[in-house]
Amino acid sequence: MWRRLPALGVIVASLALLASSCGGDHNELILGATTSVQDSGLLDEIVRSFEGVTDYHVKPSVGGSGEVLEKARRGELDVVMTHSPADEDKFIADGEGLDRRPVMQNFFLVAGPEADPADVRDAVTVSEAFKRISDSRSIFISRGDRSGTNVRELSIWGEAGITPQGQSWYQESSTGQGQNLIVASDKDAYTLVDSSTFTVFEKKVALRALLTDTANPNIYTVIRVASNKHDNVNSAGAIAFAEFVTSPAGQCVIADFGMEEYDKSLFQPVGRCPSANVGG
Amino acid sequence: MDLIWDGVTEALRLIFSGNGYVYEVTFTSLLVSGSATLIALVLGLGIASFLAFRAPPGRTLALSAFNAGMALPPVAVGLLVSIMLWRTGPLGQLHLLYSRTAIVIAQAVIATPVVAALSTAALQGLNPNLRLQVLALGASRWQAALLLFREARLSLLAAGMAGFGAAISEVGATIMVGGNIKGSTRTLTSAIVLEVQQGDFETAIALSFILLAVILGIITVFTMLQQRRPPA
Repeated sequence: MWRRLPALGVIVASLALLASSCGGDHNELILGATTSVQDSGLLDEIVRSFEGVTDYHVKPSVGGSGEVLEKARRGELDVVMTHSPADEDKFIADGEGLDRRPVMQNFFLVAGPEADPADVRDAVTVSEAFKRISDSRSIFISRGDRSGTNVRELSIWGEAGITPQGQSWYQESSTGQGQNLIVASDKDAYTLVDSSTFTVFEKKVALRALLTDTANPNIYTVIRVASNKHDNVNSAGAIAFAEFVTSPAGQCVIADFGMEEYDKSLFQPVGRCPSANVGG
Repeated sequence: MDLIWDGVTEALRLIFSGNGYVYEVTFTSLLVSGSATLIALVLGLGIASFLAFRAPPGRTLALSAFNAGMALPPVAVGLLVSIMLWRTGPLGQLHLLYSRTAIVIAQAVIATPVVAALSTAALQGLNPNLRLQVLALGASRWQAALLLFREARLSLLAAGMAGFGAAISEVGATIMVGGNIKGSTRTLTSAIVLEVQQGDFETAIALSFILLAVILGIITVFTMLQQRRPPA
């Protein structure tokens, strides 16, 4: 037994060396963000700008709003950026999150094939559009993953008085926002998508934006995870991040994002960006 | 099909234009998977020596476990390692989640059974009398082990290459425990996933070719080592 000691020593030493070289970072800030923010490329940009003005190292944990808020409830995140108002209300009401601040917005839109067999283009509201899709039994691809988009989609079906689950034309792809669009495009199907992701994917999919829900903007908010519930939440870092994304500097990062490639802001900041080259 | 051709030319362009991002994720992949393979080799060879030379009771059962471990679902490993490393988990105090170390741990867990199972088979394939003979000639247990490793080096190198292949091609656990952070935990595989999610298929294919080229290059070096004539 003892003869194996040197080997064991080597293993423990090498593991310890690795651990000490990379771990123990107390300036780390764990940010929960949704897939639309990552898939558009904005997340990398926000993290880069924030790290440029502070000492915090941001570690993004990306998932649907449902997954992000659940991790936050377990004390695994310091601050979250989500777009699922009802889930966020409950999160705050349960005392898990505090200090909700709106950051930016885009709009949900119904995307579908150019031919538009369900005549969604002629609908006035999104719930009417959903009713037309259901009536014509056109294929609809749902995220089906408790993401903010999925929650909004289900509430629209509710408004339209339709239970789509179990219908042969209703399919759940359970992928991120961008992948979901590609699946819908391949199947000549309808889907609900946020305008930012659609702009990024517009040239890559055979889908058209048929109806935009301008009445109900999709608002992304930043919420700090309650530090009184979990001891290891980095409160100071969370405050710094919330301050930054809502400050003029952070709002300008958002306003400028997409200008170069798409000639318009992918997300509209809710606050002011003084340099004001905001377009689209 | 055009996309694949565009991907190849894009891959060459990225490599030769000295694109920093591509070099960075390639470096991360090599560093992380190389470390994981080293750990898997140390652990795997230790386990294999113990099982092959000592023939402990329950060896068949243990071997079954390691053989089955070669098919360990990476996504399950990722989930378990994540939960262990969560701030509220048993190893939370180490602050390792979303770091390169976390990926090394997950990949080592995935690669170790591969190395252990294949190495045990390699060492069991040797003539059992060889070890007894070497020991009888006065070699220490360490010297005997090294000599037998050399004897089985063809198969052991194959085991190491299989372990490295399992580590560097892994993506599910890598994203789960690493977080796919630009500049730190973004590897070639997780960068490919992100490019696909962003709909940038051309870059995704280019990165795939770079990943394949890196694997081919490294495995070729080791195969040349393997096929070299032994020093007399």
